[in-house]
Amino acid sequence: MATKQIERVIAPESKHFVGDGFLVYNMIPGSSGLTMQRMSPFIMLDYNAPYYFPPSDTPKGVGVHPHRGFETVTIAYKGKVEHHDSSGGGGVIEEGDVQWMTAASGVLHKEFHEKEWSKKGGEFQMVQLWVNLPAAHKMSKPGYQAITDAQMQRYKIDEAGSEVKVISGEYMGVKGAAKTFTPVHLYNATLKAGVSATFDLPAKYNTALLVIEGSVTVNGTHKVPANNLGLFANGGETFAVEATTDSVVLILSGEPIDEPIAAHGPFVMNTRQEIMEAFHDYNVGKFGYLED
Amino acid sequence: MLDNFRRFLEQKAGLTAEQFSEVTADLRTARFKAGEILLRQGDVCDHTFFVEEGLLRLYSISDNGKEHILQFAPENWFISDRSSAYFGEPSEYFIDAIEDTTVVFLDKEFLRKVSDASPSFRSSNDYLLHNHIRFLYKRVNMLISDTAEQRYLSFIELYPDLTLRVPQWMIASYLGITPESLSRVRKELARRNFRKD
Repeated sequence: MATKQIERVIAPESKHFVGDGFLVYNMIPGSSGLTMQRMSPFIMLDYNAPYYFPPSDTPKGVGVHPHRGFETVTIAYKGKVEHHDSSGGGGVIEEGDVQWMTAASGVLHKEFHEKEWSKKGGEFQMVQLWVNLPAAHKMSKPGYQAITDAQMQRYKIDEAGSEVKVISGEYMGVKGAAKTFTPVHLYNATLKAGVSATFDLPAKYNTALLVIEGSVTVNGTHKVPANNLGLFANGGETFAVEATTDSVVLILSGEPIDEPIAAHGPFVMNTRQEIMEAFHDYNVGKFGYLED
Repeated sequence: MLDNFRRFLEQKAGLTAEQFSEVTADLRTARFKAGEILLRQGDVCDHTFFVEEGLLRLYSISDNGKEHILQFAPENWFISDRSSAYFGEPSEYFIDAIEDTTVVFLDKEFLRKVSDASPSFRSSNDYLLHNHIRFLYKRVNMLISDTAEQRYLSFIELYPDLTLRVPQWMIASYLGITPESLSRVRKELARRNFRKD
């Protein structure tokens, strides 16, 4: 099988706050020219690199806001986030947990640092990813999947702790718990220094890796340091990731959704008309109601 | 650069690219950060702002310190205090930026230049003035006769995306209702329109 080559290594640029609780690098679409189409179905990726939040009696975060037309996936590495949405979904996610919220036809939600965690403060590190939905499912019923670290399916590489946690899709026969609407492989690979793992993903899938901790070398040629995104070309299937130091790497690969994208703020649809409908439906309460 | 303003002049005055370059040769534009004030009460402001990008508001502050929003101006809107811009009086209002905003300054001299280049602009400009008066009548009628829900429904019709760009208290101020009343209206609409199946 042919090697899937690194097309570019993208360094993080400036950080910005989302609400007052998430200090993120926007990697997709971002200023690096990674468009929603180029990375489809991954239309947005915000990365909150490790950041210390001092104790706060009032939890920091993002207040009530709507989404329609896609799914939000929150991957917690450090810290705790509490979530509530207008379709009744809610809960707390912490280290190792993943929250997969299907906004689809529309939800209102809010995300804040968990109350007790906020009072103590601490190191915070998370990824939020938006996964697009195909036209046929943009107006499906909203859903919520909470996948705790304990439930996460794992492919064990060695006894020293190297493993691939499969959030969605499949790795070496191990299937992830998250249900998706189109093929999406999402893994967290923990690799001890010197350990290498090989991945085999379809050539046409849009594929990238984000180095959460440590530093890796891809295919023996490209170094990808912490907080950098390694973007793969759409050719070849196999690539190898070797940890230079103890590392954690998020790997995302998905079948592109070959449809027009009309995006405006929290709505991602296929046409401008559907965006206008989304605003109207949100304004007249069709997304429900959620207290601030 | 100035794509919205260019489109506006193309549509309303039918200006060619060459005429656009001529009339906008010494046009003044500026970028304001969110929170910056463009017009203060007591100032005389001899121009109108065209919002190329961003969001402005026009408001007054009553003796008890309360803000009353008369108008929002997102992209492609005009905003000015005519008592100042046309009659030269000190303004009773403030204009500030809710978001980082790029504006074009329009004055009588500019309007004369466009009218000279395009006779049809005079009738377009008349139309815009009458449209503005119509908008103000509706707004006065709304404020003296409509329920809180009717006011909110007119607001989302006029400004479909502002509910996501403007804090609730500003929308309530514009509608002449309390933030609590606005919250009740939205909750009641959700109760009627939300289908959880």
